[in-house]
Amino acid sequence: MKRVVVLGGGIGGTTVANRIRRLLANEVAGGQVQIQVVDREGIHAYQPGFLMVVFDKMRPEETKQAESHLLHRSIELVKAEVEKVDAAQKKVLLKGGREMTYDLLVIASGSVLHPELVPGFSEAAHTFYDLSNAEKLRDALRSFPGGRIVVNVAGLPYKCPVAPLEVTFMLDDFLRSRGIRDKSEIHYTYPIPKVFGIDTVAPVMQKLMVDRGISIHVPFNVQTIDPAKKSMTSLEGDTLTFDLLVGIPPHRGADFLQASGLGDKGNWVPTDRYALTADGKEGIFVLGDATNIPISKAGSTADYEAEVVAQNVASVVRGGGPTARYEGRVYCWIMTGLTQATYIKFDYLHPPHPPTPSFAHYWNKTIYNRAYWDMTARAMF
Amino acid sequence: MSAETVPPASSPRRVIDARGSWCPGPLMELIAAIREEDVGTELELLSSDEGSRKDVPLWLEKAGQTLVGMTSEGGVDHYLIRKVR
Ligand SMILES: Cc1cc2nc3c(=O)[nH]c(=O)nc-3n(C[C@H](O)[C@H](O)[C@H](O)COP(=O)(O)OP(=O)(O)OC[C@H]3O[C@@H](n4cnc5c(N)ncnc54)[C@H](O)[C@@H]3O)c2cc1C
Repeated sequence: MKRVVVLGGGIGGTTVANRIRRLLANEVAGGQVQIQVVDREGIHAYQPGFLMVVFDKMRPEETKQAESHLLHRSIELVKAEVEKVDAAQKKVLLKGGREMTYDLLVIASGSVLHPELVPGFSEAAHTFYDLSNAEKLRDALRSFPGGRIVVNVAGLPYKCPVAPLEVTFMLDDFLRSRGIRDKSEIHYTYPIPKVFGIDTVAPVMQKLMVDRGISIHVPFNVQTIDPAKKSMTSLEGDTLTFDLLVGIPPHRGADFLQASGLGDKGNWVPTDRYALTADGKEGIFVLGDATNIPISKAGSTADYEAEVVAQNVASVVRGGGPTARYEGRVYCWIMTGLTQATYIKFDYLHPPHPPTPSFAHYWNKTIYNRAYWDMTARAMF
Repeated sequence: MSAETVPPASSPRRVIDARGSWCPGPLMELIAAIREEDVGTELELLSSDEGSRKDVPLWLEKAGQTLVGMTSEGGVDHYLIRKVR
């Protein structure tokens, strides 16, 4: 029997496991192939929903489902913390001492938030990158009387590169709808000398900000935050004060990757950008936020990559080679207000050109927020 | 772009090899290194990314750090940088 083990039951891990099961349906039903997904909590988060929670567009419980409800019934869910991968022995060591062996491994362990890397961040900053903090930011906004809001990205890479743009535009719209925009300022900061990393997108976003009276501070690499004084200083020597700070903390890959000799300095796995195999390791595929591929860390990236990894896993199980290639496809909506959006669609060779923001694009995003569970996680269509 | 040559190292030089990384990867690796090193340290950034040719000097100017020189060889740009503050 061949064992396929998937580490992580997030967006990438769940959809890839379901896709592999579909491609190898006969082998799985016949007992020649076993698929196992290891996840710490067994609770699946639809993280794009966290931004919607901040603005009361989704309820917190709409962003979570039990992983066991999403995986096909023939896939085994192992609820445990991965401690180490022994790539030479093809084994996974779990907390508590259990060992799993694999023939093929898929690493889909996502990214980890590290607010402690910026002194003062945890005390002073609101974030929306995890559910409980998204709810706190929602509550803070409900009673916000107006004032100075700073949006800060602590470092690159971070997941959903467009989310800081989105929260900025949504804050602007929110303050207008509350009638307190004139009593407020919005300051957008970003670590590089432009408002976004992709050259075809940055000027479009910058224009939207200027048109809406949003102040831009780039480059701004936060060094320390003083929670008492409500001020932050940057490596470039600038100081900004705030009444409300919305921050994206530094990101790293999962800790076990370092312990396994699979991670680079940031704990991201060096990955072949086309084959999605871990560099120099046999039988290991990588997808989603966990790779070191310099494209957007996004659910959509994980989803497109999962199609390729599933085909390659199925091919290798059947004695073939990993011939499917990931061409760098990404598709992300960008909320440009509470009820309007645009999108970026690109690959390694074709940069994105966001269309004019519209209600129709926002509506598509809203539909996807509901369709996600069947369409992406269960990979039903 | 500067045609200056990268002078020989006067003090231990930290090399940041960001070849193969795309914009803003090389700049972010440089920023991480600048955060870690002491004032006076020389850094040499290797990059094969064209977009960084604009962003790296822009950032250095804004951050008040010194671009000592820059050369290009075989598709790789070498930026010599001194951390001065
Ligand atoms: C606020 C917000 C908005 C976003 N909006 C969008 C959007 O609009 N569009 C978009 O495409 N993307 C968006 N994203 C990004 C998207 O959610 C991530 O890029 C995506 O979830 C990555 O998928 P993944 O499978 O790599 O990791 P994840 O979905 O994070 O899953 C990783 C899983 O691995 C598990 N795990 C990690 N380490 C271990 C371990 N040691 N042992 C056991 N289990 C472990 C975790 O518990 C988790 O379940 C957004 C993210 C946020 C935070």
